[in-house]
This record gives sequence, structure tokens and C-alpha cells, in this order.
Amino acid sequence: MSERLYRYLLCLYPTDFRRAHGEDALQLFRDRLRDETGFLRRMRLWFDIFLDLAISLPRLHARAHPAFAAAFPARSAGAPLFLILEDEPLRPAALVCGCAITLAALALIVILANHLGPLRNLSPRAGDSEVHPINPQTPATNRAGTHPALPQPAVNAASESFASTGSGFKSGFAQSANSAVPAGITSVGSSALDPERQRVLDAVIANLDQHYFDSAVAHRVADALVAHQRSGADALAANDKDFAALLTTQMRDVSHDMHLEVVYSATPLPKPSPQDFAKMLATLQKDNCLFRKVEILPGNIGYLKLDAFLAPSDCGAIATAAMTSLNHVNALIFDLRDNRGGTSEMVSLISSYLFDHPEYMFDPRRVPTPQSWTSSPVPGSRLANKPVFILTSSTTISAAEQFTYDLKMLKRATVIGEVTAGGAHAGVFHRIDDHFGVAIPENRAVNPYSQADWEGVGITPDIKVPAALALKTALQQARAELQKNPSSLQHDSH
Amino acid sequence: MPKQKLDPLPAAAFQILLSLAEEDLHGYAIMREVADQTGGRVRLGPGTLYSSIRSLLEAGLIEELDSREDPSINGERRRYYRLSPTGRALASAEAARLADLLRVARAKKILGGGYV
Repeated sequence: MSERLYRYLLCLYPTDFRRAHGEDALQLFRDRLRDETGFLRRMRLWFDIFLDLAISLPRLHARAHPAFAAAFPARSAGAPLFLILEDEPLRPAALVCGCAITLAALALIVILANHLGPLRNLSPRAGDSEVHPINPQTPATNRAGTHPALPQPAVNAASESFASTGSGFKSGFAQSANSAVPAGITSVGSSALDPERQRVLDAVIANLDQHYFDSAVAHRVADALVAHQRSGADALAANDKDFAALLTTQMRDVSHDMHLEVVYSATPLPKPSPQDFAKMLATLQKDNCLFRKVEILPGNIGYLKLDAFLAPSDCGAIATAAMTSLNHVNALIFDLRDNRGGTSEMVSLISSYLFDHPEYMFDPRRVPTPQSWTSSPVPGSRLANKPVFILTSSTTISAAEQFTYDLKMLKRATVIGEVTAGGAHAGVFHRIDDHFGVAIPENRAVNPYSQADWEGVGITPDIKVPAALALKTALQQARAELQKNPSSLQHDSH
Repeated sequence: MPKQKLDPLPAAAFQILLSLAEEDLHGYAIMREVADQTGGRVRLGPGTLYSSIRSLLEAGLIEELDSREDPSINGERRRYYRLSPTGRALASAEAARLADLLRVARAKKILGGGYV
């Protein structure tokens, strides 16, 4: 791109100079282009080139047209003087060249005007793209990642996916501190990136900085994104979809994290409002928080069909009621075949009933917090030493896999059914605007077990049977175990 | 085409002669050498550099050598230039002229420092 522009500029030189040294000049320009990378050096290079043109062009043309040069002393005599510089008409190539340079100059003015626009109103919105008027202070204090212009939604689980489009302006600044220029301003003077794309890029960087679990990697990724943009690589994307794919590749090249992704959607991405969340929560609670079945099957075997691990703050009471109603069973079956995940807090809450001492519930997405341990023993619980079975299917995923994985690793449950879906680290989606979003894994915890977690591979059941047969198999296993070890029927730890 | 006058010797031309004093160089290396010897103040652009080189060639102050590769950069062939005996003499005369000027400046206390 730069080289082509310089090639056009070379057309301004007299033909004989171009013939003799045009290639040399181009080679020198290429050498400098290769050696002088980085924003400031590039600016200096272009400054040099234009200064050089201003100095050398008149001199070379004066040499090429001695009559013109000789005309100057004559002019000083006070008489106007007209000279014909060329005997031949203008070459078509010269006309084309002139047009190209004029267009380039106009384009440069338009680009500069576009980039200088946001500078003037002194309210850069690095990670923001919404139409709400936003107090720049709000996002900075809003680390929870909810929309700054709206009240905090009541649903914890949902607030994650609702997470920030108006992400930290403050962090956007912090990020770009290495280049000593605020994020909103980095665009100015850098290579010609569409302002719309610049806004998406700034939002991606601000979100990365705020949400990615490894801030060092986030910085490296952000630097790479900015470098690619400055080098003009981003301009290669023909459309928005390609642009999103290009950013995704650039992020993955540096981070080697396959869960980082910039998403483009031709149809507008949904934008849930707090009302939507309240409505969703009401529906879920009416649906018993997806505790689909709480039954005691023949042989005093408890059966809990759970389709989601919703946040304890919303569904804790229903979970406690369900576990209490199963307190006197001899064995317990968790049916997670239709479970689509949820929160690790609910995983910990339900698991609390199954141990007589606190156990660490490893979640690859979350650095350990006090909620990562079960609050065992639960007063009055009789389930701590009862056999536990977990039913899985090929669609059991996420938090349901965490529950399955941890209980399997702790040798607390027998897993029966199919290999699970294998979704461990998937990023949290952050909406940027109607069409762009970015998925960012927010945490990564050290696996206490000596093997990799279930990401991409799923959890292999202890007893592999088709999902449809899992309950039947589990009942057989439970009855066999209870018969083999009748002591557990009488044993009462409390 | 008339030759560009090299009397007085333009600053850029003098810098190029100085850069070639110790070894033969190609255009980009001359540019870098000039930048080095002026502490980065003078960065000759392609137009200025090659128009000066052309004048110096025409005046016989430098000579063009066969093009060859510079292994320290890349595989491209480059034209190398060498200071001719006339060029060396002229550069030396120019340096002497400047040294004379310096002596005057020091004598008139415009410039501090030791005697040249």
C-alpha cells in the first residue's frame, strides 16, 4: 500500500530521473519501510518523503527545464514571462498519475477529518458503542460488567451473558498507556482504518483488557491488534465478517486461546434489557428453577432431574427444598441428561449435601473463591455417605459437566450414560453493537487433578450406555450396590 | 541536460562524499551513514539523495560500481558508489575551507572549544 503510493509519487519526478534512479529510490523507500516500523517512525518516514519531494522536485524540474530556471532572473526585471515547458502534449500516463495523486490527497483529507472528529469532542468512548449518553465515570466503576446506563439486573447467571458492551473506558486508557496515547486517540494518524472498524477494534481491546483472565496475555493481544491495524493489515478484510475472522485469527495467533473470538452477525444480536431478565427469572422460578423431577423411586432411591444449575441467589431455596425432600433416601440419582449448565455456585451448593467435610469443586473457568468449596457438612443432611449416580448424555455441558467431573474425580459418584459435550472454557460473550460481539474466557483455574479437564473431549462415564438406558442402568446399579452393602441402609451418620 | 552546479558544494553532496570516505556504499547505506555522521539530524530522502548522487557522478566526484547484493539486507541487487580521487580531493578542500571558517569563528569568540 505504502509502496504503491510512493510509486505514484515518483511519477512527479522528471522522466529521465525516474528512468535513471526511479528503481533505486523505490528500493530505498522499501528498505526504510522494512526497517522503520512503529507508528512514530512511520510518521517520520512519510514526513521525510514529503519534505524530500518539496526540496528535490523543484530542483530536478529546474534541471530538466533550463529555460524555466533561466526565467527567474528575467522575472525579476518586472516583466511577466510565459514559457512553454514541453513541446509535446501531456502524456496520458502523466494525466492518470495526476488524477491518482489528487484522489490520494482527497482520501487523506477525508480520513484525517474522520479521525480528528472524535478528538474534538473530548469524550472518547473506547469500549462503548451504544447510543445511550454515557457518563465516562460510570463504566470505570462498573467492574461487574453490566451496562453502565442501566440498573444492575437481578439475575446473576444472566448478568454474565449480559456483560458489558459499555466496557471500561478506564481500562481502555490503561491498556494504551504503553503507547502513551489514549485508546480513543490511537486511531488518529494511524493507517486508514474505517472509523466503524476502529470502534469495534477499540471495544474488543477494552473488553479484553477488562475481562481476559491473563492480563499480560491480554496486553500482548491488544498490542498485536494495534500493530496489525497500523500496518494496514486490517484493511485487507473485504467485509465485516472477514474483519471479525481476521481479528479472531490475530488474537488466537498471539494468545493460542481458541476461545477468544470476535463474532459478527448479519442479523442484529439480541440486546436483553433488565425487564427481559426479570421476565426470564420469573418464568424460570415458575418452572421450579428447572428442578424437573424430585422423586423417590422404589427401593428408596432418590431421583433428581435437574436441567440447569441456576444461581443460588435466585434458586437457592428451591434447591434446598429439593435436597431436603431427598434427605432420607438410600441412594441418589442426579439426572443431568438434559442439563445445559449454569453457575458453579449452584454446583457447590448441591454438592455440599454429598460430603461430610468441605471439598474443592474445581471449575476451570473460575479462580478459586470461598464458593468453590462445598459448605459441608450441611446440618441435618443424611446424604453424605449415600451412593450417588449421575446420568449424562452427549448434550450434558458446562456447569453440569463441572458437577459430573468433580464428583467423578472425588470418587463420590458413578457416572452412567454417554460421553458429555465437552464445553469447559467457553468465553463469556460481550456485545459490542448490533452486529459485533467478542467472546472472552474470563478465568482459568489450575486443575488439581492430574489429567486435563473435559474441554473438547467431554467426560467419559464409568458405565457407558445410551442416554435412554442410563436411568434403568443406574437403578440396577443402585439396587445391586445397596444389596451388596446393606449396612449403608441402616448406617446413619447423624 | 546541464550539470547541477557543485560550487559551492551543497551540504548534502558533501555529506555523501564524507560517507563514502571509508568504504563503497549503496544508496540506502549512504543514507544511513549520513544519518549516523550527523547524529540523526540529516535523513536524505530518495529524491535528494539520488539527485545529489547524479550530480556527483556527472562531476566525476564519485564512481558507480557494478551492482551487487548486500548480504546484511536482502537478496536485492544494489548499485554501489565509490569516492573518486577528485572527489576525495574536493571533500578534503571543503573540509579545509570549513576548518578555516571554524578558526575564524573561534578567534571571534563565536564558538568555544579547542583549536582545529
